[in-house]
Amino acid sequence: MPNQQVSPYTPIPMHLLRSYPESVDGALRSIELSFDNPADCRTFYEAYDPGQFCQISIFGKGESAIGVASAAWEGDFVRFTVQRMGVVTTALHQMQVGDALGIRGPLGNGFPLNEWKGKDLIFIGGGSAFSTLYATVLHITGSSLKKEFGRISVIYGTRSSGHALYKESLKRWHENHEIDLFQTIDNPEPNWPYMVGFVPDAVRAVKPSPNNAVAIVCGPPIMTKFTLPILEDLGFKPEAVYTSLEKRMKCGIGKCGRCNIGPKYVCKDGPVFSLAELHTLPNEL
Amino acid sequence: MNYILSRNDIPKVLEMWSKTHQVFAPQKYSNFSAFLPYEGKAEQLCLEYPHNTRYPPKALFLPQSEELLSYTKDGQASEPALDAKPKLIFGIHACDTRAMTLLDTVFDAKDYQDPFWKARRESTAIITLGCDEPCSTCFCTTVEGGPFNRQGADIIMTDIGESFHLEALTPKGENLCKDLPYASAAEDRKVSNVQEKATSDMPKAFDTEGLKTALDANFDSSYWEEVQRSCLGCGVCTFLCPTCFCFDIADEAARSKRYRNWDTCMFSVYSREASGHNPRPSRKERTRQRLMHKYSYWVDQIGKIGCTGCGRCVRYCPVGLDIRAMLREAGKLPVEVIHA
Repeated sequence: MPNQQVSPYTPIPMHLLRSYPESVDGALRSIELSFDNPADCRTFYEAYDPGQFCQISIFGKGESAIGVASAAWEGDFVRFTVQRMGVVTTALHQMQVGDALGIRGPLGNGFPLNEWKGKDLIFIGGGSAFSTLYATVLHITGSSLKKEFGRISVIYGTRSSGHALYKESLKRWHENHEIDLFQTIDNPEPNWPYMVGFVPDAVRAVKPSPNNAVAIVCGPPIMTKFTLPILEDLGFKPEAVYTSLEKRMKCGIGKCGRCNIGPKYVCKDGPVFSLAELHTLPNEL
Repeated sequence: MNYILSRNDIPKVLEMWSKTHQVFAPQKYSNFSAFLPYEGKAEQLCLEYPHNTRYPPKALFLPQSEELLSYTKDGQASEPALDAKPKLIFGIHACDTRAMTLLDTVFDAKDYQDPFWKARRESTAIITLGCDEPCSTCFCTTVEGGPFNRQGADIIMTDIGESFHLEALTPKGENLCKDLPYASAAEDRKVSNVQEKATSDMPKAFDTEGLKTALDANFDSSYWEEVQRSCLGCGVCTFLCPTCFCFDIADEAARSKRYRNWDTCMFSVYSREASGHNPRPSRKERTRQRLMHKYSYWVDQIGKIGCTGCGRCVRYCPVGLDIRAMLREAGKLPVEVIHA
């Protein structure tokens, strides 16, 4: 046995199945990884809740914490959408099909879907942070879960139409109205049929009802900052607003120390927090 | 049961324990002291030093640098063997022993266990040497401990003059003492005198009552700006701290190994994110994190202060910053303003 698999620091062996650009500028790529040992796939998705993340590991380079962007029903793989930023993410962008890598996870708490049952869900996303929201929508719409929730709406903004992730799914949702998709871009483009403007303005225009509803906000800090007051104006209580946080992480399991906000570790107590919870924590985002 | 270990017999008894255990004892090393494997050099022992070894014995469970795995070119990982060899730590002070019990709540938590830490803890017996003369930088009694605190110890050892008095607290401890003579009633009586005197001699360093409330209420206070002014950000307070456990994980491609290394919240890169954003951009936020972690966040997490009063950060700070003075001041801050 080369691998004793007793240590939570040892990654699950994987290899690259597919890799494709998501944004026009190439800064964002989706990679789909399959499990070297097929049994690991079942274990992974049995433990998985949407909103969780993994530490993607490339031996010799290091690890990078990335949100899961796939649903179990899609197949025997895990998708991540990776923004090219540093050593590991650059290496992930350059990997070839078949190359070996690993993941540790699923890590973190994920979205509390059980608490949300019976409610309308309003997903509000911007830029690359949309990945775990996308995974959550896939998870719900692709299974019998869908009937356990009310209306599902997505408000999604990107710099331009070319910067949008998951373009085929967005196109499908625009066409089949499986969910209510409100897509917006920062600046006008010829023949763009949807909204133009920043996400907070789009939220104000869509005006989602707070009645029996939950809003989930994931985006760049500036988007979150200006969206939260609008949700408050619309009547959303802090208990009904959720967000997913990011921090520099190493271990992912609450040991290495660095990702704390007050007494909470973003890696294991988060990354998902309600606004009500965040209000009890020090302001150190 | 209680036993006696005469001073002259220490080398002999350490030799005896070395047959069944790897024995670590406080020893002089270069220009400092540390818990090192005992190799029969009794003259190197520094049991008589009133202060703690400079290098913290947490390293015996969480080494400063430790292999987490090795890997092959084709991506196969192997984990290093767990360290299950019987080990014995002889002469560790109560603050350092108690620190291990605090760190157990991190590394042997309910949700995730660290197998490397756990294996070393389970295979190690601890003989605590109580401090009969705590030094001026010590403040264990202020932070829920004491010079003869028993938490985490298998044996508690008291200096009663010609000899050491050993009280076995666990079956592991009893087993180690089986070849030692029993203590007499007179020797037992000496112990309580020594222990009580040492404990009552220690002044209260600062008030812990209301301290957490004051810290929590003053997260955004200008106090943090003032208190960090002379800090160099060298991190020695955290590296030598027996309860600081933060680590970094890094690959060494030349050796095909992944390591963890002690890390410190006092460094900028510790919390700097890939985007360049840093939630703790200056020493102000980093100093605040160090103190808040020990005196507020630990209390939230496990109901205990995450400091054992060992005094290393006081003794070895190159600019003489004293956590006791910092906390005395923090305790006086107004508490009306609660952060949103």
